[in-house]
Amino acid sequence: MSQYRVQGKGRVSHGKPVSFSFDGKTVTGLGGDTVASALLAQGTHLMGRSFKYHRPRGVVTAGSEEPNALIGTSRGPGRFEPNTRATMAEIWPGLTATSQNRWPSLEFDIGAVNDRMHKLFPAGFYYKTFMWPKSFWDKVYEPVIRSAAGLGVSPSVEDPDHYASRYLHTDVLIVGGGPAGLAAARSAAEAGAKVTLVDENTEAGGSLLSEPGVEINGQPAWSWLESELASLTALGVTVMTRTTAIGYYHQNMVGLCQRVTDHLAAPQDDQPRERLWRVRAEHVVLAQGALEKPLVFDGNDRPGIVLAGSALTYLNRYGVRVGNAAVVVTSHDSAWFTAFDLAAVGTTINAIVDTREAVREDLLAQAAALGIEVLTGHTVTGTSGRLRVNSIRVNPITGSTVGQGRDIACDCVLMSGGWTPTLHLFSHTKSKLAWDAEGKTFLPAETLEDCQIAGAGRGLWGIEAALVDGAEMGAKAASALGKAAASATYSVASDRTGTGEAQKELPTDKDLTSTRAFVDFQNDVTAKDLRLAVREGMRSIEHVKRYTTNGMATDQGKMSNINGLNIAADALGKPAPEVGLTTFRPPYTPTTFGALCGYHKGAHFDVTRKTPIDPWAEENGAVFEPVAQWRRARYFPNTGEDMDTAVMRECIATRASVGMFDASTLGKIEVVGPDAVEFMNRMYTNPWTKLAPGKCRYGLLLGEDGFIRDDGVIGRLSDDRFHVTTTTGGAARVMDMMEDYLQTEWPDLNVWLTSTTEQWATIALNGPNARKLLEPFVEGLDLSAEAFPHMSNAICTVAGFPARLFRVSFTGELGFEINVPARHGQALWEKLWDAGQQYDICAYGTETMHVLRAEKGYIIVGQDTDGTVTPHDAGISWAIGKKKPDFVGKRSLERPDIVAPGRKQLVGLLTQDGSKLEEGAQIVLDPNQPIPMKMVGHVTSSYESDAVGKPIAFAVIEGGFDKIGETVHIPMPDRTIAATITGTVFYDPAGDRLKM
Amino acid sequence: MTVIPFDFRPGTLVESAGVSIRILMPKTRLSLRARTAAVPAISRALGVAVPEKIGQRASGEGANAETEILCLGPDEWVLLTDVEQVGTITAAMDAIYKEHPHSLVDVSDREITVEIFGDKATDLLTLGWPRNPLSVPIGEARRTVFDGASVVIWHDSETSWRLNGWRSFMPHLLGLLVTGCRELSAE
Repeated sequence: MSQYRVQGKGRVSHGKPVSFSFDGKTVTGLGGDTVASALLAQGTHLMGRSFKYHRPRGVVTAGSEEPNALIGTSRGPGRFEPNTRATMAEIWPGLTATSQNRWPSLEFDIGAVNDRMHKLFPAGFYYKTFMWPKSFWDKVYEPVIRSAAGLGVSPSVEDPDHYASRYLHTDVLIVGGGPAGLAAARSAAEAGAKVTLVDENTEAGGSLLSEPGVEINGQPAWSWLESELASLTALGVTVMTRTTAIGYYHQNMVGLCQRVTDHLAAPQDDQPRERLWRVRAEHVVLAQGALEKPLVFDGNDRPGIVLAGSALTYLNRYGVRVGNAAVVVTSHDSAWFTAFDLAAVGTTINAIVDTREAVREDLLAQAAALGIEVLTGHTVTGTSGRLRVNSIRVNPITGSTVGQGRDIACDCVLMSGGWTPTLHLFSHTKSKLAWDAEGKTFLPAETLEDCQIAGAGRGLWGIEAALVDGAEMGAKAASALGKAAASATYSVASDRTGTGEAQKELPTDKDLTSTRAFVDFQNDVTAKDLRLAVREGMRSIEHVKRYTTNGMATDQGKMSNINGLNIAADALGKPAPEVGLTTFRPPYTPTTFGALCGYHKGAHFDVTRKTPIDPWAEENGAVFEPVAQWRRARYFPNTGEDMDTAVMRECIATRASVGMFDASTLGKIEVVGPDAVEFMNRMYTNPWTKLAPGKCRYGLLLGEDGFIRDDGVIGRLSDDRFHVTTTTGGAARVMDMMEDYLQTEWPDLNVWLTSTTEQWATIALNGPNARKLLEPFVEGLDLSAEAFPHMSNAICTVAGFPARLFRVSFTGELGFEINVPARHGQALWEKLWDAGQQYDICAYGTETMHVLRAEKGYIIVGQDTDGTVTPHDAGISWAIGKKKPDFVGKRSLERPDIVAPGRKQLVGLLTQDGSKLEEGAQIVLDPNQPIPMKMVGHVTSSYESDAVGKPIAFAVIEGGFDKIGETVHIPMPDRTIAATITGTVFYDPAGDRLKM
Repeated sequence: MTVIPFDFRPGTLVESAGVSIRILMPKTRLSLRARTAAVPAISRALGVAVPEKIGQRASGEGANAETEILCLGPDEWVLLTDVEQVGTITAAMDAIYKEHPHSLVDVSDREITVEIFGDKATDLLTLGWPRNPLSVPIGEARRTVFDGASVVIWHDSETSWRLNGWRSFMPHLLGLLVTGCRELSAE
């Protein structure tokens, strides 16, 4: 047993030693210890090095606000986490912890040379120093600064853990399980509300865990706590510990991060490491308490200097004395109690130094009784000790004069600058704060949310006050939900209440240019830096913050913001509220990316939609590509084939005999009702009235602006029923657009839209042998060219499956699209595949589809159009019903800029050297003009083509229709390619192959 | 994350102490769209009192007992029935079409339905469902989102729910549900 562990004290398991490693050495703590408490129990304060100056640092707090004791924790490959707060990391057998930001060792760190040169690194150092020469920034300064910056080491191996998330709906969410939170939970639960209470610590209790001496309603604090928690559970309250409320969002949405397995020696495989809860609460009670402020004096950052309240926690909760010989430095009564409690277990209190002139009589009396020297009206002007404080220099203050200093030996300093209400979550909601001039701090004022704030969080002090206030706020929350509520009464004995006086940096007799009084421990910001920022012209706290980085570390200024504000306000000679408080932003404490990602990683990263035929494609070696949310087979390579070879083979096979293609992803919308044809006339550019049932037509959809939005073949199934197809990516958009018009413009039309995209699996058969292959499978339909010509549709059965059969073609070959209910898609595909072997059938993918359609001059919306292309620009004015009174986009087609000459028009391109162009390449008329050249268009599609015998391309070119036969130039990085403008139909211009 | 096979074979997908998931046999699913004025006539034609409040359900009687209708929107319903009933239903609806125009579209293959049941069935739904499950009374259903995808969730009893979504989204959704079953078992 170490000399610092107090036998029998605290909530740790004294009979249960737990060993872990810190920087390679075995440390034995007790069950219930954190890394910090276990290290303190063996006398170790030095736990890290600071960010900028690499100063040796020890633990200063016992909670999640810890700025110094940041360590790496690991439980094996991929399970390393940097910047874990040692004060929150629970120990378990086998835990590997390491210090960080030091090399080669924590005790001897080369980077500490920065500290010797601190006068070279004032605030704004980077902005001032690395301005010249400008060219050095990219190559020298930034890389060097980046490698020197940062805390800890980023993990380099994929995280094998999994992370979970859930939604939670509750009547009342209470954040903070201290006295105020517990009392709020009781009031609300007794009123019949569903209550969820969360606390970031291992167990609920808050300040009660550090104050076992108080009695609540006649019961010792810890036994009251135990029975109260049992009673709350019986009332139906859900208590979640190790759960941090990280953010408070609109309309009472609160994010919680629950640490599920980090404290376990052997988590189960199916347990998530962390779980993110998205809570929607009817009412929120914030009972987060207050955080202790450090005092700002020269050398206040040495290891061994600890917040007094935290030292009390280490003693009473963990049974650890933070040192043998302490000096207490305070401006608040609360630190006196730490001194008394430590004195009672054998720590010598060498002095209590209070900056205030007058201190409560009872405190003075108790100090006197314990034989403790008291120095009121004193300041601290320095400390010494390299890796651990060994003395402190204190001076009397008389009026504004700092008297002669005196050194007091010690191995720890317990400081308290008073307490700051925790307002982070409250601030997340843009709630208003009010400046409390007396306490020199901000208190909660108004909020837009259904939210109460209770206890120390609104500046109250003492356990009884917190309990009473919590009970009242819990009752308020329940009443707001319409539940009759009463607040319980609490009487607390031995409640150690107190008050204090807020300070800026403590007065000193030293030359201010030589002092190092730290305000932000994590970012190494001193009071001197803040005053320098003000001298250099920073007026708002927002500017001071960014110039000095005060409050910008991972602790978000939990300890430094108010001290920083008071010092900046003093330097500006303005009251603090006029200088302002920086905004707190979520998360409250650092949160893992894993928790934020939740389940969305790997295969579950996002929805990948697959067609019913996808398994066949996968089995047959398809290479896939994403198209909107879908994955589609891009090509089916034979062994050893690259994409170009495979696509060329697929194109040749389809044109020579027959190819099959999975077109299931095409959007499908069933338009039904007596006004279906009228609706179609208004939506699409084409005329539909005369399209007979059983026939199909290419449909073109414009936006109100007259630009092409979508297209597809549309079949009229009966007078009142159309089967509309859309592009794969456009399906949802088109459906929404149609529904929008129907509901807002034409609510009188009796027509309804139903998405049938996923009802049907669609197989396209294309090629001269398509009919021969299909015919034997079809019942109830004559497939001959005369009976079922190009652009026909029919309902029939195919291979015994009910089918909607379309004779259409996107390849220029004889083509059919067979729609069968999705569940039969793969079965039909396999039957056609087997039967197709006699015709050397080939399965082709989207790439071949693209080539075959380009050879025929068919456009792809979104590839050959870009939202600025009209039907005329695309060369498909024929698709416009000229006699129709109106359709979406019609009037825009008359706009002056739409009918003006010189618009970019879709044309074909054939390169003069037979090379393939690059899609997206820019086009110029004169390659010898000075740079920057005038670009007249760009290549939209480009492919090798076997059918044409050379590469083909589409492009949009200004005034392109009038330039057919002319030469344009495509400048590339290595050369300029000349190309001839052509029409867009490269293959079978008469369309004979379609009509077979 | 479990990769769910794509054939949606009916039967148990996962069984665990607190919650199990079963892929249901496909039923005929018809999407019905009509104006409110047509509801009484449609109710007579179907032999089921068509609910008019979004989220409410009704079932048929006798030969129609397997027919279930759910109001999804102000002019939208989904009708579940046995394959044998489809002919009768279509004929009855065709008969009133002239006077009471409507749209009836077979979407049986568009969606896959799973049953989620067990003491922790409701907890499982909280993994991906932003709504408060208890805001859907037993015997009702809602069109809503689960893990970002559009679904219909049916509340059948205290411990039993149905979830149906479009076919291509289901492997993603079922993957999460299966993971969730394991996670709940480890609690």
